[in-house]
Amino acid sequence: MLATIPTLFGVTSISYFLIWVTAGDIVPGVEINPYIKQEDIDRIRHNLGLDQPFWLQYLNWLGLPNLAQQLHLIGGTWPKGILEGDFGRSLVDGSPVIDHIVERLPNTLELTTTAILIGVLLAIPLGVTGALRRGSKIDHALTAMSVAGVAVPSFWLALILVLVFSVQLRAWGLPALPSSGAYSPLVGFDPLDRLSHLVLPALVLSFGYLAIWSRFGRSSMLEVLSQDYVRTARAKGMSERRVVYIHALRNAVIPLVTLIGLELPALVSGGAVVEIVFGWPGIGRFALDRAFGHDYTAVMGIVTFAAILVVLGNLLADILYAILDPRVRYT
Amino acid sequence: MIDPAAVEVALPRTDVAGTAFRPAQSYWSESWERLRANRVGMAAGGLVLLMVAIAAAAPLLAAYVVHHNPFGIDLYATFSPPSGAHWLGTDEDGRDTLIRLVYGAQVTLTVAFLSVTVSLLVGGTVGLIAGFYGGWLDNVLMRFVDILLSIPAIYLLILLTILQPKIGPVQLSTSDPRSLAVIIAIVSWGGLSRLVRGEVLTIKNRDFMLAARSIGASDLRLVLRHLLPNVLAVMIVAASLNVGAIIITESILDFIGLGIQPPTASWGNMLTNAQTYFYHSVWLVVLPGALIFITVLAMNLFGNALRDAFDPRLKS
Repeated sequence: MLATIPTLFGVTSISYFLIWVTAGDIVPGVEINPYIKQEDIDRIRHNLGLDQPFWLQYLNWLGLPNLAQQLHLIGGTWPKGILEGDFGRSLVDGSPVIDHIVERLPNTLELTTTAILIGVLLAIPLGVTGALRRGSKIDHALTAMSVAGVAVPSFWLALILVLVFSVQLRAWGLPALPSSGAYSPLVGFDPLDRLSHLVLPALVLSFGYLAIWSRFGRSSMLEVLSQDYVRTARAKGMSERRVVYIHALRNAVIPLVTLIGLELPALVSGGAVVEIVFGWPGIGRFALDRAFGHDYTAVMGIVTFAAILVVLGNLLADILYAILDPRVRYT
Repeated sequence: MIDPAAVEVALPRTDVAGTAFRPAQSYWSESWERLRANRVGMAAGGLVLLMVAIAAAAPLLAAYVVHHNPFGIDLYATFSPPSGAHWLGTDEDGRDTLIRLVYGAQVTLTVAFLSVTVSLLVGGTVGLIAGFYGGWLDNVLMRFVDILLSIPAIYLLILLTILQPKIGPVQLSTSDPRSLAVIIAIVSWGGLSRLVRGEVLTIKNRDFMLAARSIGASDLRLVLRHLLPNVLAVMIVAASLNVGAIIITESILDFIGLGIQPPTASWGNMLTNAQTYFYHSVWLVVLPGALIFITVLAMNLFGNALRDAFDPRLKS
């Protein structure tokens, strides 16, 4: 668990190094302006801290010197950094990157949690059905679906669903689902409107989860059904329904919970592609827009933010396993 | 003292004439036999081979079969539906869809197989070294992999494709399939190295390793001659299962405009403007994606078949 701290340092230093080697000491637009004197450039570079050595720039970016100064360990004035929630400013509009992230994070979480919920709620019954009717036509159909589900590119599935549910339904004069965005701009806040925008992106995103989880749920259920305690329960004359739903299901779900826990880090980044296709105003869409605008610092901030959340998500998942399953212990 | 004659009597007779016994078979030929018996896997593998053959024969197909080239613009025939002249119709510039799909296969398959090779080389080497030497080296390498895997792949890819960093003398740029393959490999070797390391850890303390070491084999010989052949099967299976994921990753990058740039055709960038074709040219939306889907599906099925063949215990 202590390994989390060096990992966080590593993630931030890699991010910082990447931006430093490519656009590190450039003040954008200043060098090419012939009316700016060299001393002005030097002053701007000094004010931005670009004349300092790489390691000090990195520590500043983290915000360590400022923290140390707040604790009266060192003197001087230092900029705030990531440790204090300052992810830098956008190269394009100069606004703090963290503001953009905070603004878009709820949209991203809305999409990913809905998708994971749909995935779980459908995967368990489908997996159980497959296991109980092993070898039947339904089982084969479910298996085929999950094999196909892993192979289908999510952005293409999105296009096809839009083609069917937005374009064709409208062409036939039926009520259609909106194909992009998170809400209709002129409607204002309307839960139904938001929900209708959520349906397609959430379905596409949940399809990938569904393919994996239903398969896993099936094999987990099959394994449990062959256990001794299930045989005991049957032998003492318990009804089949009770055996399946009380004894077997509960135990079969435990490994699935750990698998779903693995998706915890993906809450922030997992939906990026779907966000991009559907124009969903989340973090992934924002990162791509800024990437095309050559707004390096903004992309940097998002990458760092997402990576930190992944590391923390992994940590949280580990802790959850330890609570759920007392056999898991850390040395 | 044991009387040899008594032992002779006590032991069961081993030289029974006419016993049907199987000649010793190598692990690889045994696996090949299991693979050959798997009809779905062989069909999937055949389909992949067919795709590779079509992609390799793209210039021949363009010259002698389709009679179009992938950049041939014909503004009199934009968005023409499938016909005798254009078997799969044309796109917004009147370019022939079929030949662009064929050339797109070339790009996609090149990126996929090259990328998987690079990540196998890097991931395999790191995994072998980390697992074999252990200690601080293992710690440093595996922490680095942890860090790499913590950065969400899609964001790392966006970052690498816009920054286009220089690695040594090689300038990465997304206009070139080989560069794109390297960029994708940078993101995907981590998982492979973990897998190889884990496998090495289970093998390196086996008796045959100890035996080789005790007769004075060098580290290099131990790794290449004794360790590598034993983890090779795991590496091949993991790599073949990775190809599908890499094809999807590559097409996502092309689709969002960060990968292979037009006018070079790839299955991903043929879908970039797909949303505008919905109302008149549905085939332009369906075909490239369907090809990605079929190729990935075939590759995954073939990978599963390989896994079952190499390690029947893992059969699901």
